[in-house]
Amino acid sequence: MTVRYAELHALSNFTFLRGASHPEELVETAAALGYEALAITDECSMSGIVRAHAAAKETGLKKLIIGSELRLRSGRKLVALVQNKGGYAALCQLISKARRAAEKGSYELTRLDFESGLPGCLVLWIPDRDLRLDVEDHWIRETFRDRLWIAVELMADGRQREQLERLREEGRRLKLPLVASGDVHMHIRARRILQDAVTAIRLRTTVDKAGFALHSNGERHLRSLAVLAHAYPAELLEESARIADTLHFSLHELRYEYPNELVPAGETAGTYLRKLTEEGMRRRWPGGVPAKVIALVEHELKLIADLEYESYFLTVEDIVSFARAKNILCQGRGSAANSAVCFCLGITEVDPGRMAVLVERFISKERNEPPDIDVDFEHERREEVIQYIYGKYGRERAALAATVITYRPRSALRDVGKVLGLSDLQISRLSRSMQWWDGRTVDDSRILEAGLNPDSPVIRRLLYLVREIIGFPRHLSQHVGGFVICNAPLHELVPVENATMPDRTVIQWEKDDLEEMGLLKVDVLGLGMLTAIRRSFDLIRDFDGRDYSLASVPAEDPRVYDMICAGDTMGVFQIESRAQMAMLPRLKPRCYYDLVIEVAIIRPGPIQGDMVHPYLRRRNGEEAVDYPSEEVKGVLQRTLGVPIFQEQVMQLAVVAAGFTPGEADRLRRAMAAWKRRGGLGPFEDKLISGMRERGYAEEFARQIFRQIEGFGEYGFPESHSASFALLVYVSCWLKCHTPAAFTCALLNSQPMGFYSASQLVQDLRRHGVEVRAVDVNVSSWDCSLEAGEGGAPVLRLGLRMVKGLSENAGQRIVAEREKGRYATVQGLMERAQLDRRDLGVLATSGALQALSGDRHKARWAVAGTEKPVPLFRGVEHYEAAPLLKKPTEGQNIVADYQSTGLTLERHPMCLLRRHLDRYHYMAAGQLPDMSNGQRINVAGLVITKQRPGTASGVTFVTLEDESGYINLIVWRKVAEEFRSELLNARLLGIAGELQIEGRVIHVIAQRLFDHSEMLGELSVSSRDFR
Amino acid sequence: MIVEEQHGIHRVLLADAAARAAGVMAGLSANAALALLPTLKLEERNPVREQQVLERLASWLERFSSFVSIADRNLLLLEIAGSLNLFGGLQSLRQTIVRDLGMLGFSAAVAIAPTPLAATWLARSGRRICIRATENLGPALRRLPLTCLHWPSGQRELLTGMGITAIGDCLRLPREGFARRFGAERLLDLDRALGHLPDPRDSWRAPERFCADYEMTEEQSDRELLLNICRELLLSHEQFLLARQLGTQSLCFSFFHLKSTATELRLGAALADRSASRWFELLKIRFEALRLPEPVIAVRLRSGLSQPLLAETARLSFSHKAEKQKHRYSIAQLAERLVARIGDHSVHALTMVAEHRPEYAWCARNPLSDWTASTLTMLTDTRRPLWMLPEPALLPADSGYPLHRGCRLTLLDGPERLETGWWDEGNVSRDYYTALSGAGMRLWVFRNRQRTPDWYLHGIFG
Repeated sequence: MTVRYAELHALSNFTFLRGASHPEELVETAAALGYEALAITDECSMSGIVRAHAAAKETGLKKLIIGSELRLRSGRKLVALVQNKGGYAALCQLISKARRAAEKGSYELTRLDFESGLPGCLVLWIPDRDLRLDVEDHWIRETFRDRLWIAVELMADGRQREQLERLREEGRRLKLPLVASGDVHMHIRARRILQDAVTAIRLRTTVDKAGFALHSNGERHLRSLAVLAHAYPAELLEESARIADTLHFSLHELRYEYPNELVPAGETAGTYLRKLTEEGMRRRWPGGVPAKVIALVEHELKLIADLEYESYFLTVEDIVSFARAKNILCQGRGSAANSAVCFCLGITEVDPGRMAVLVERFISKERNEPPDIDVDFEHERREEVIQYIYGKYGRERAALAATVITYRPRSALRDVGKVLGLSDLQISRLSRSMQWWDGRTVDDSRILEAGLNPDSPVIRRLLYLVREIIGFPRHLSQHVGGFVICNAPLHELVPVENATMPDRTVIQWEKDDLEEMGLLKVDVLGLGMLTAIRRSFDLIRDFDGRDYSLASVPAEDPRVYDMICAGDTMGVFQIESRAQMAMLPRLKPRCYYDLVIEVAIIRPGPIQGDMVHPYLRRRNGEEAVDYPSEEVKGVLQRTLGVPIFQEQVMQLAVVAAGFTPGEADRLRRAMAAWKRRGGLGPFEDKLISGMRERGYAEEFARQIFRQIEGFGEYGFPESHSASFALLVYVSCWLKCHTPAAFTCALLNSQPMGFYSASQLVQDLRRHGVEVRAVDVNVSSWDCSLEAGEGGAPVLRLGLRMVKGLSENAGQRIVAEREKGRYATVQGLMERAQLDRRDLGVLATSGALQALSGDRHKARWAVAGTEKPVPLFRGVEHYEAAPLLKKPTEGQNIVADYQSTGLTLERHPMCLLRRHLDRYHYMAAGQLPDMSNGQRINVAGLVITKQRPGTASGVTFVTLEDESGYINLIVWRKVAEEFRSELLNARLLGIAGELQIEGRVIHVIAQRLFDHSEMLGELSVSSRDFR
Repeated sequence: MIVEEQHGIHRVLLADAAARAAGVMAGLSANAALALLPTLKLEERNPVREQQVLERLASWLERFSSFVSIADRNLLLLEIAGSLNLFGGLQSLRQTIVRDLGMLGFSAAVAIAPTPLAATWLARSGRRICIRATENLGPALRRLPLTCLHWPSGQRELLTGMGITAIGDCLRLPREGFARRFGAERLLDLDRALGHLPDPRDSWRAPERFCADYEMTEEQSDRELLLNICRELLLSHEQFLLARQLGTQSLCFSFFHLKSTATELRLGAALADRSASRWFELLKIRFEALRLPEPVIAVRLRSGLSQPLLAETARLSFSHKAEKQKHRYSIAQLAERLVARIGDHSVHALTMVAEHRPEYAWCARNPLSDWTASTLTMLTDTRRPLWMLPEPALLPADSGYPLHRGCRLTLLDGPERLETGWWDEGNVSRDYYTALSGAGMRLWVFRNRQRTPDWYLHGIFG
C-alpha cells in the first residue's frame, strides 16, 4: 500500500525567529514530496498563509490547510486546523483576541478564550516533553470532544519508542485518536543551521550558549514519505491523510464586502455614485460639460458597475470630502485615480482633458486587478483623516495593512554576528565597511578592512547565514497608510493585532497579500508638499487677497516652464534633486505631459534600464524614432519608443509577446520582487519566445527584457506620475510667481524635501527677495510675510527657526506681545513666562538683538535674569555694565548656524576665502567661464553626499560656497583613497577636472582635502575675522 | 587606541601616532574612528587600573614630599616648600621628579605655583612654568584659557557665549554680577587660585598591608621551629587585620637564606579570612612539601590585598539557610585543603553545560571560584552513560553492523540523532544507539552520518 501523509503541524518563517523556511518553500517541497496536504500553522498568526495559498496554486500542492499553533499561558500547546469558513472566522477572531490582549509581537491565551469551543476547527493536542496529558487538562477533551487528536511527533531523540507507547496508553485512557505530525520548522534538513541561529536571535543569546533551547537534530523538516514510513506506524500516517480529507476550507471562499453605510436609503451604490459624479461634473464644468467628457464618464461608470467597484469609489470619495470640509489639501493617485469619475468626485485635480493620453488605461475588465487609489494628504494633518476613518467605521472594521519587516544585509549582519559571538565593535566595523553590500557577493578586502579574516570559519559561517536569512520576515510593522475597511468585522477575514503606536491596529496581511486576496485598501498617505502648497495658498491670500487652489493655478504658464528648463527648481516637488536639476536643461519640459515623463524617468528603474539617454537623444532629434510594429508604436509612441512607465512594460508584454493581462500582472509583481527572491526566469523565456513568434528581432526582445530587469522594483507607474506632475507644476508655479510665499511655506513645513532651510533661504535671496532675521518683537511662531519696500513681500523668519525653543514658549511670546513690545530681557522673561533655557536659545539665535544688543551682551543679560518675586515684580535690577568683547562676524555666523541652521550674514566661505586662496581654489560662480576638461581646484561646505545604489560606487557630493553650488563626482577608486576626507570633511577642498555639458557642470574629483579645521577658526580665533 | 563609553557610545580617548595621522582624534566615536582606520586596535578604558596607577604614583611620590594629594583622575599635588633644601633647590627637585617619573614610564606636565589651584590650572594648560611669588600669579593666570579650570561644561559654554574665554576676561567682570550669574563658588575658585583665600587639601594615605619579618640570630633548619615562627607571624597578622576589620584571600611567606635566593610560599583561600588557625592549617599542609635549599635566617609574612571583613557572630538559629551556609563553607574548606595539598592544577570542580553534544555537556572549573553561582541544567530524560570514553573509539564493522571484541553488537534502542555544533569545530552528525555486547555489557555507540558511516563506541552504561 502506498503511504499517504498530510503534514498538519508546520511553521513557516512567519512564526518569526522560529520557522526557518519561507511558506513558499514549504509548499513547494510538500508538493514535490507528494504529501496529501500541508497545513501552515504559524504560531498565533495568519501572516504567511496568503503566500502559501499563492504558492499552492502554482505548484499544484494537493491541499493547503490553514491553521495555527497556539500556546496557552499554562504551557499547553494546541494546533487548530480550519475545517470550514466558520472555523476560519473563529480562529481569526481567537488570534485577534489573543494578540490584542498582549504587547505588540506577543499574545496571551488562556482556557477561557476557548469557551466558544472554536467551532469549525479540528485540534491537535501537542504533548509536553514529559508526555503527560494531565487531569487538569480535561477541559481540552471536554471542549473539543470528537474534534481532538493527540499529535505524535517522533523526532529521533532516542525516546521515540517510549514516546509512542506512552501516547498510545494516554490515547486509550482518554479515548482519543492519535495522529502523526512533524513539528516542521523548515523545508529541508540543511536549514537546521539557520534554525539554530534564529532561535539564538530570538532568545538574545549566542548559539553556543543557547544549549537545550536548540533542537538536538534537524528532523523537524518535511521528511520524505519513505523516511516517514520508517519512523511512524502506518496507521498514524494514514490518520493524518484522513484528517486532511475532512478539511475543505480554502482562502478562495473568503468574500470581501465593502462598507455599505455610505449609500443613503433609497439609493444603490451605483445610483449614488452616479449622482455624486454628475454633481461633480457640473461643479467642474459650470459652463456646460463637453460631450467627450460625458461619454468618458459613462464609459467609466459602466466599467465600475461591471466590476462592482462602486462602493470603493464611494469610500474614497467620503474620505476626500471629509478632508475638503476640513480644508486639508489632498490629491489622489494610482491606476483609478486619474479617471474622469475621480476628477468629478474631487479625488484628483488632474483634469482628464489635460491628460487625454491617460484615461483609457484606467482599470480594465480583463486585467481583473483591483482599482488602486492612493490619496496623499498634508503630512501634518494626515492623522485627522486617520482618526476620521477609525471614528466612522470603528476599530472593528478599519485597520491598517501590515508591512512585513524583513532582514536586510545590515540587520542580518548585526543579528547573525551577535549570535555567532562577534562583539558589537566587530559587527559595527563589519557593517560599516560593508555599507553598500547587496547581501550576495562579498569582497574579501572588505572583511580584511574590518580587521577580520575572510577565511576564518566564523566569518564563513557568518556570511553563509547572512545570505540565508536575508529576506526572512522579522516582525510586522504598520503600513505607511494602507487602510482596509470592511463591512463585517475585520477579524472574520484576517487577524488584527496591535501596532507600536498606541491605539493603532494592523491586520496580519501586507499589501501583496491584500492584492492576492482581492481586498481593497485605501492608501492614506502624508505628503509634505501638499502642506507647503496649502500654506502657500494661505499666505498669498493673507498677503494680497489672491485666492488659488490646486485646480485654479493658471495652467501651462510658459514662464514656469522657462524656470524649469533652467534647472531653477530648488524646493519644488520631485524635480528638485540634483539628478533632476541636471536633467531639466536637457529634457526641456514645455508641457504638462513632459513633466509626467520627467517625474518617472529620473528614477533608478529607467536609469538602470538605460532608458534615459535614448529618450534624450530622440527628444533632441539626434536619433530616429522607430517602432518594430504598429502595436508597439501604440504603446510607446508617447514616450518616443522608449518604455518609461511600468504600465508600458506590461502592455508590451501583452501586445508584443502575447501575455494575457493576468500574466502581465504577475510579471509586474515578479518585477517588484525579483531582486529579493529571483524568479524572472520563466517570464524571460516566455517573453522572448513570445516576441520571436510574433516576428520581433531577438535583439529587440532581449533589449526589452533587459529593460524590464533594470526596472526591477523601481518601475514607476504613469498613473502616479500623472498625479505627481500636477503637484510639480503647482509648486513650480508658486516658486516662479510667489517665491517669498513658497519659501515661507516650505520653511514652515520642515522637515521635508531635499534641501535645508539654509539652502532654501539662500536660493530665495539669490532671487532678490529680502529675508529678515528672527526678532522677539516682530517674529511670529511661523515664518511670515511682511510688506517690504514698494509693498513687495519680504520673508521674516519665525520663532520656530530657533533651535530648542518650544512651540508653547514661542506662542506665549507672540501672544504677550499683543499688549506691547518687549523692552528688556527680564521683562520678556516675566511677561512670556520663559525660563533661562528659553532665553538662552533666543540669545544664541540673535532674536534678542533689539532688547540687549549683540549676542555676548544678550547672554550676559539672560544669565542675570532672576525668577520674578511677586513683591519686586517689574523692578529692574541695576548692576554695573560688564566689559564684554563684541562677537566677531565669524562667531555670529557660527551661532546663526547653530541656532537657526542658516545665516543672513555673509557666507562663511567669504570669511575663509583669504585662507583658501593659498590653495588657488576657485569659486562656484567662476566655473561656467571655464572650459570643459580643465583642471581646477574648488572648495566648499559639504551640503549633501549621496551614493545611489544604481551608480556603481560613485559618490555624488554637493559643495556650497558664497557664489553657489559645485557638483562633485567622486569615483569609487578616489573615494577609497580619500576615505577619511570624504567621510569626515565638512569643508572639503577638491583638485579635479571640470566637465561641462551645456549648462550642466560637474567636477570630477581627483584629490580631496579636509579643511574642516578652518571652520573651527571661525568661532575660536577671533583675530582672523575681525 | 583607548576608547571609553559615554552615553552608550564608545568614544576615542587616546590614539597613537599612526591613528592620529589617519585623522583619528579624541572624542571621535569608535565607529567613526574605525571608518577612518579599519585596522585600529581598540582597548576599553579601565578606570580602576588608572586609579591604581595613580595611587601607586602617589605612594611613590611620598619620597619627595610629606604631603601628596590626589586631586583629580590624572592630577597629583605635591607640597614642596619643605623639601627644597633636601633636594638641592627648586630646579633640581623638579628635574629629579620629572626624570624619575620618566624612568617609570610616565610623562608629566609639571607646574609650580604658590597655590594648589594655580599649579593645577597651569599644569593643565601644559605651560612649564614656575611661579614663586603670589604677586606674580595674577599676570600668569590671566592668559590661561578657561578650559584649564574644569568648571562645569554648562558654565563654560555660557562664558564662551559671552566672549569670555580666558581667566583675565573673568577678572575684568564686575564681581557682583559674576557671582550672581555663575555662583559664589566660581568666584572663590578665582580667589583661591590667586592666593586671596586659603585652600587646604587632604593628604593621600596608602591602604595598609601587613608585612612583618622575623629575624633569627643564627641559621635554622628545624622545620618545627620554623613553623612556630610562622604561627607567630600569623597571629600578629590576625591582630593587625582584626584591628582594621579586614581579611585577605592570599598570603606570602618568604624564607630568607644566607646564600640562595629566598624561598617563597604562597597561600590562597576561597573566602577572605584572617583567622591565624585556619591559615596555619593551610600552611602546615603546604609546608610539608616545601623544599628549603638551605637553612633559614629570616621569615617574612606579607598579606595580599586586604578587603573589609566583618567578624562572624555565632548564631543560635538553626535555620535551613544557615545550615546551607555552613555546608557551603565546609566544601569550600575541603577544596582549599585539597588545593593546598596537591596543587591548583590537580583539583577541579565539575559543572554541567547545557549542550546536546555529550563531549561538551560538562566542563571543569576552578574549585576556589564561587561554585554555587552556576546552576545545574540537564535534560533528565535523555539517556547518557556515566562512563564516557575520553574520545569515541572506532569500532570495526561487519556488513554495516558494529563489532565489539569480535562480536556483533545487538542494537537495543535508538537512534538518538544528534546534529548540532556547527558553530565550532565540533560539528557532529551521529545516530546513537544503546547496544548489547556479546559479554552482556550495555554500550553507547553511534554511527557517523558525516563522511564515512563508521561506528564508534562512546560510553559504557553501568
